Amino acid sequence: MQAADIATLLVNSLTWAMATFLVAAGLTLVFGTLHILNFSHGGFFMIGAYMAYSLANAIGGAPSIAVYLFGSLVAGVLVALLGLVVDRLVLRRLAGVEDAYVLIATYALLLVCEGSTKLIWGLNYHSVLPPASLDGAWLLGNAVLPKLSLFIIGAGVVVFAALEYFLNRTKPGRLVKAIAADPWMARLLGVNVRLVYTATVALGFALAGLAGGLLVSNQTLSPTLASAFVIQAFGVIIIGGMGSISGAFLGSILLGIIDAFGQWVLPGLPGLPFFVAMTLILLLRPQGLMGKAKH
Amino acid sequence: MNRIDRRSILKYSAAAAAAATGLPGLVRAQGGPLRIGLITPLSGPQEFIGSYVKNGAEIAVDQINKAGGIMGRQVTLEIRDDKANPAAALAAARELLGAGINLHIGGISSAVVLALGPVMQQENGVFVTCGAGTEKMNHENYSPNLFRPGDSPDARTRAQARLMAQKYPDITRWTGLVPDHEYGRTTWGIFVDGLLEYYPSIAKKKPEILEPILMPYGVADYRNSITQALRQQADGVFNCTYGGDAITMFQQARGFGLMQRYKVVCDAANEFLVARGLKAQLPPQWTGMHYYAEANKGNPISDRFVADYLAKTKDPEPLGWAAEAHASIYALKQSIEKGKSTDTAAVIANLKGLTWDTVTGPRTMRAEDNQAIKDVELVYIEPATTDKGYKVTQYVKVDGKAVIFPATPGKKLTLRTA
Repeated sequence: MQAADIATLLVNSLTWAMATFLVAAGLTLVFGTLHILNFSHGGFFMIGAYMAYSLANAIGGAPSIAVYLFGSLVAGVLVALLGLVVDRLVLRRLAGVEDAYVLIATYALLLVCEGSTKLIWGLNYHSVLPPASLDGAWLLGNAVLPKLSLFIIGAGVVVFAALEYFLNRTKPGRLVKAIAADPWMARLLGVNVRLVYTATVALGFALAGLAGGLLVSNQTLSPTLASAFVIQAFGVIIIGGMGSISGAFLGSILLGIIDAFGQWVLPGLPGLPFFVAMTLILLLRPQGLMGKAKH
Repeated sequence: MNRIDRRSILKYSAAAAAAATGLPGLVRAQGGPLRIGLITPLSGPQEFIGSYVKNGAEIAVDQINKAGGIMGRQVTLEIRDDKANPAAALAAARELLGAGINLHIGGISSAVVLALGPVMQQENGVFVTCGAGTEKMNHENYSPNLFRPGDSPDARTRAQARLMAQKYPDITRWTGLVPDHEYGRTTWGIFVDGLLEYYPSIAKKKPEILEPILMPYGVADYRNSITQALRQQADGVFNCTYGGDAITMFQQARGFGLMQRYKVVCDAANEFLVARGLKAQLPPQWTGMHYYAEANKGNPISDRFVADYLAKTKDPEPLGWAAEAHASIYALKQSIEKGKSTDTAAVIANLKGLTWDTVTGPRTMRAEDNQAIKDVELVYIEPATTDKGYKVTQYVKVDGKAVIFPATPGKKLTLRTA
């Protein structure tokens, strides 16, 4: 294996990792705080992507990078508003119920997302041109580094850094962590736990919508987009440790690297190294890389 | 007062037993509408293609009913979702067969059709596929109860290989972008067989076949496979990735400049699915069509089909799966009218060897293996700055008889290998 191959594979790994992390970030944030495993998260990611597509389509041609980023933010805000509705109608009612009911309710929400997408945007496949400045590749020696890949890696790192800063360095963020750890004590101290829960749901959904916008040029848009991402997003949050942002970040990088280099070694068995790695990690560390073991 | 004798009691008892238990089809067959089962994906990843099948079948049924039905009986469709999943398809088929419906169409997934063959044979039903690509239904998995009125995979794919040898005689180094499943591997195998036959005979050159790049199925990232493809020095590429997977792969390949490295791209079967999704991002390519409406203008069946399709769906360009469903319903109609019976045995007997008119012209169902002989339609599509986003710049119709393998039902297909 030459240096150029290693560089290209590393960029591929990190692209997959950051695309997955962007989708998983909101999922793990909501789980970490509300202890609700939101199966419909991929559906709201998909709706964010379709919203960004509609914006790009209204403008026509390849969007500029500014429009692309603006479209992603708009998708994030709109999906956050949807999150508030979902919180009011569904998630609040799931507090304290058994996990099986939560999974069924959020799976039903996923079906609503898919059905709504079909009604609004139809069954056709769609795609969005990347901004001209993200089209093509940089060459590093013989290594081919697509600009869109580097953009996705950058977006993932920025979102991770922003979330880490928010949760660890700001008062509202520390409040979210405190409530996640002990909501009863937070209530005793006069914290409006319900309000923080609602804000966390809005943030989690905003991250889903933002991810949809940022990744809209990365893959086809179809009503099954949610399913394509939800499995790998669940994979990285389980590997990383349920509810841990940094765990999801590390888990996605680890699985991305194993998948890319595994396919190099075993080109006739695409996808196999990914699942073998997941199985081994869970056997060796069932609580995930950053999760805490239950005693 | 009517006299009740032993014979009457036996007759009425048998009828009652049939109605209550085993043979409801016999009871219902004589009156009311003729019910045909339509088993196709109406949810999941293949719902989009299933919607074409459903629309095409419904248009055929509307046309037939407006013209008086089949032998005076109106036709209705009993529609079930197979989710492109053999288990769901089997459940749907058993339900419909149990309700006395013996004639069925649909099934665009190879796995679904292969699963349905034995059930149809066991339960005395007929199934006509509207686009499944497996060659096994004509070979080791042959069932007399399964029919394919559309392209056989060998005719379609060998026609593509022959076209490549004719149009691009200097492009001799080939690779494939092949999804890691039955359809992908088989289609690539047939394409290689075609290259090995037609390049020496037409271009007078020996083709060089590189290892195909195996693509995972239904994922959101193809960059690792694309990187593998970049390491090859191929001039021509045969793409078997399909639908949304193909669009994602082409989008991600754009960043690497992969498709620009190839002098010709030949796509197995995406028709206009990929072109409609990619528009300006579409790499120019040949693709196989079950039916290309523009090339069949002037055929009154096609013209009417396009008009009805537009009225029903607002889509002026029906894709091939709709045409296959339309052709399937008309094949059943012709065979029923020919034998004056809807019984399974009669329908099978009359489908075999049947020649009937379709949107692509007359087709003949080869009696030996239930495979239609039809011309293969191939188009070259390029991106365009129109609303549609693509345009067809070349069209070729290949005589199906010239490229299809001889019928060998029950025997495994043997192919040349590089």
